[in-house]
Amino acid sequence: MNEYSSVNKQLDWRRAKVIVAGVDSGAVSSKAVILLDGQPYAFSQVRTRTPKESAFSAINAALAKTHLGLQDIHYIVATGCGRAQVPFTHKTISEIACSAAGAVHIWGPTVRTVLDAGGQSCKVIHCTEKGRVTAFLWNDKCAEGIGRSMEVFADLAKKEVTEIGNIALQSDQFPKISDFCVVYARSEALDLIRSKVPLEQVIAAYHYAMAKRISTLVARLGVKKDFVIIGGLAKNPGIIDWLESILLVSSLAPKPEWDPTLTVTLGAALFADAFYRRQQYNISAPNTAGKP
Amino acid sequence: MMKKGSKAIIEYFRHITENTHEYAKSLQGKGQLLAGYMCTHVPEEILYAAGIIPVRILSSHVSQAMTRSYLHETYCSFSHDCAYQGLQHNYDYLDLLVMSSSCLHMSEAFNVWVRFAGFQQKSFLIPYPHIIQTKPAGGFLVESFGEFKQFIEKFAKKSITDDDLERAIKVYNQNRRLLKRLWEFLRRDNPPITGLEIATVTLASQVMDKQECNQMLEQLIQRLEAEPGKAPSGVRLMLTGGACDDLRIFDLIEHLNYSTNLIFIDSCTAARYFWFEMPEDRPDKLEAIAEGYIGRIPCPAKDNVPGTGEKKRFRFIQQFIEDFKPDGVVFFYQRFCSPQPHDIVALKPILNKLGIPSTELELDTTVPITRFGTQLEALVEIIERVAP
Amino acid sequence: MSKEKILAGLDAGHVNTKVIIMRGQEILGYCTVPTGFDVVAAAQTALNDASDNVGISHGELGGIVATGIFRDMTKVPPLNVTSTVPEYVADAKGALFLNKNSRTVIDIGGNIQKAIRYDQNGNLLDVNQNDKCADGLGIFYTTIAKAIGLSEQEMSELALKSTNNLFIAIQCAVSAESEAIDLMCQGRDIADVADAILRFIVERVADMCTSMSLTKEIVVAGGLAKSQALIKHLSSLMKQDVSALDIPEYVGAIGAVISYEGGK
Repeated sequence: MNEYSSVNKQLDWRRAKVIVAGVDSGAVSSKAVILLDGQPYAFSQVRTRTPKESAFSAINAALAKTHLGLQDIHYIVATGCGRAQVPFTHKTISEIACSAAGAVHIWGPTVRTVLDAGGQSCKVIHCTEKGRVTAFLWNDKCAEGIGRSMEVFADLAKKEVTEIGNIALQSDQFPKISDFCVVYARSEALDLIRSKVPLEQVIAAYHYAMAKRISTLVARLGVKKDFVIIGGLAKNPGIIDWLESILLVSSLAPKPEWDPTLTVTLGAALFADAFYRRQQYNISAPNTAGKP
Repeated sequence: MMKKGSKAIIEYFRHITENTHEYAKSLQGKGQLLAGYMCTHVPEEILYAAGIIPVRILSSHVSQAMTRSYLHETYCSFSHDCAYQGLQHNYDYLDLLVMSSSCLHMSEAFNVWVRFAGFQQKSFLIPYPHIIQTKPAGGFLVESFGEFKQFIEKFAKKSITDDDLERAIKVYNQNRRLLKRLWEFLRRDNPPITGLEIATVTLASQVMDKQECNQMLEQLIQRLEAEPGKAPSGVRLMLTGGACDDLRIFDLIEHLNYSTNLIFIDSCTAARYFWFEMPEDRPDKLEAIAEGYIGRIPCPAKDNVPGTGEKKRFRFIQQFIEDFKPDGVVFFYQRFCSPQPHDIVALKPILNKLGIPSTELELDTTVPITRFGTQLEALVEIIERVAP
Repeated sequence: MSKEKILAGLDAGHVNTKVIIMRGQEILGYCTVPTGFDVVAAAQTALNDASDNVGISHGELGGIVATGIFRDMTKVPPLNVTSTVPEYVADAKGALFLNKNSRTVIDIGGNIQKAIRYDQNGNLLDVNQNDKCADGLGIFYTTIAKAIGLSEQEMSELALKSTNNLFIAIQCAVSAESEAIDLMCQGRDIADVADAILRFIVERVADMCTSMSLTKEIVVAGGLAKSQALIKHLSSLMKQDVSALDIPEYVGAIGAVISYEGGK
């Protein structure tokens, strides 16, 4: 997991009317996105140590090259499993709602199903054209840890996690391994190695099993097009291709300007933007105050 | 007895849930015989009629793996926990252990107590039909209960008369009515008691002497009727599912980052335990008892109307939804339970038609607070139509 | 003594490949290399590196005995493996060598755990292996330490400083990892989480031993044996004294050497 930060130097925060931030306090990484008048301005990703510490690291990393201070940000929304620990937020929103909000912003109002295939868990989310969640399904406990197991698997195979997906697609034929849980799948993969099955086929077998597992989750809630995939596994073509062929539904291609792992963070920032504007709206027009 | 406020009475019940053994042994100290029971298919009235206090075996919430040598890995944690407590001799003081054949996991937990925890000579298994919505089931159950009654008479060294049975039926019915009245408070917009508190009281009732329990319930209801309501209700969440005696879950539901109220729990450790009444003043008492147990809200392991695939439980759930008006439903079941998740598959379309969103919690001995908290908050966000 | 053959024991495990070089009773050197799905390459590297450590070449080894789950894959010409021995046998003999009084060894490996009871000559009396759901405890420990940003040693030492008894799911390593992370997200103290992780591992190891009668002295092999916190919790849970063997990762490799040509 790379740590990074970047700023869009073409925007000047001193000219912005609304400066907001979204912070995603995740299990492994913490990310921040800063918007100026709704436009992406700065991003960052840092390793999570403790949620509180890493939320500060993430927002400071995003602010680092900007001369913008935390106190200049009008509204901050935190999401992710560590969101309750982030001290400098105005509101917290679940990553479910943030996924939908971020996805619709990135891919447009045709999005109806979002699969967040992350390191720890997979969630399938149904939303409206405005990015409002109507239903969701969290993976059952036996399907936990698929994304993380892919990293462990890559480590064991002495490959980069970014390359095993492509290796997986190179084999047409490969043995079947357990598609129930990652512990069984990994142990069976080790057995395949022992049976001298070529490494490429073992990698393919593992990917297929994981894709199959995710597909049952998606199928349980149902897929309505347009379908998008976010989270770390969105970058694994081995998983994505197999998932689409099992589900018989294709997903929209990722957008070059948005890393799929930033979708949730962006969603949090979008919420911050909306909440701030509503707050301002209520203050300036008290007679029309109320839920939009 | 000194007049107690509602808080003090609720605290008394809560203390019992955390000190079950201490409470049970105090009953024994007064000369009472105690019979432990797993699952709610055991006819407590027959035990009570013989002067035996039934005490439900509930979880100790201990994270342990040693029972994997006795029960399969993929049995639910509730059954593992019950087995564990037997093997740890936590319940050695019980005079008897009674079980009605119910689901596989709990039946095997019972077997662990019998085979390995020293209950061979002090246990009884009541054959209980699975497909209860058939004509033969009633007759079968009456016969089964008859054999059980004979066993208890021998065990307690006294005969159980019809009067004894009728008395027990009435005490238990009274308990059921009182618990129902307590839960009815949650139909209000601003009830004087929370779902968590009611769940605590209900849990305690499953291990208490019903006569004492009834007295405390009457006092509690009296106090509550005089009290003003708490803050207006937030988002109304109803739980439906399997056995759950973990108050931390109910506490989490009422302490999310949003204003929420737990307004009903359809589970065998809550409403399904008491939401029925046994026919009273019938000439054949065993028939009355059998009728009561068969007619109540069924456990999913026993709910299968032959030939139609219909689930009787769903009618009750729909009635609860109508009466208690939840904004959202939380399904919960023990990880590795089979019957509960099967019901969810069929229940979801009903909820979808009613426009009620839901989420599912898989229970274990530990509670992953951020995961469950996120699921529940996401459910509230759907209900509140949270969008950017 | 110097006329005795220099022998190598090669333990080709699921996660790590271990080599130890001995002359008679004397341990000359050792080395661990990640197996990484390429058993032969890992074995080659481990043999070369261990030999380098000792100051000899691979070719100067008088004999190489392989054990471990992947041992059959090491019987290829470049490695010059003389013979193989099953891991249960190697574990028993290795444990006995390191502790003459031991009669039970609990080997917590990268992917598999085993409990092995043996007599004073290292002959097997009883063996047991973990349930399938308890696979991967070793890998889990390495991964979670990395995720938290600590070395395995740091995590073990931190666990000793725990002041709160937290619990995580014991169903399997995946659930445990999820819940350990859940605890971190709740803002819990890392020392307490580290301790909960070790107690989870100990629960699964101990449950493997429940259906076996263990004979004293009970010793622990495998990398995780180096964790004081683990040994402490294991003793407490099993209500028996257990102790860690020296260089516990090399128990199998040592046993392999001792099994050379059926030697004691």
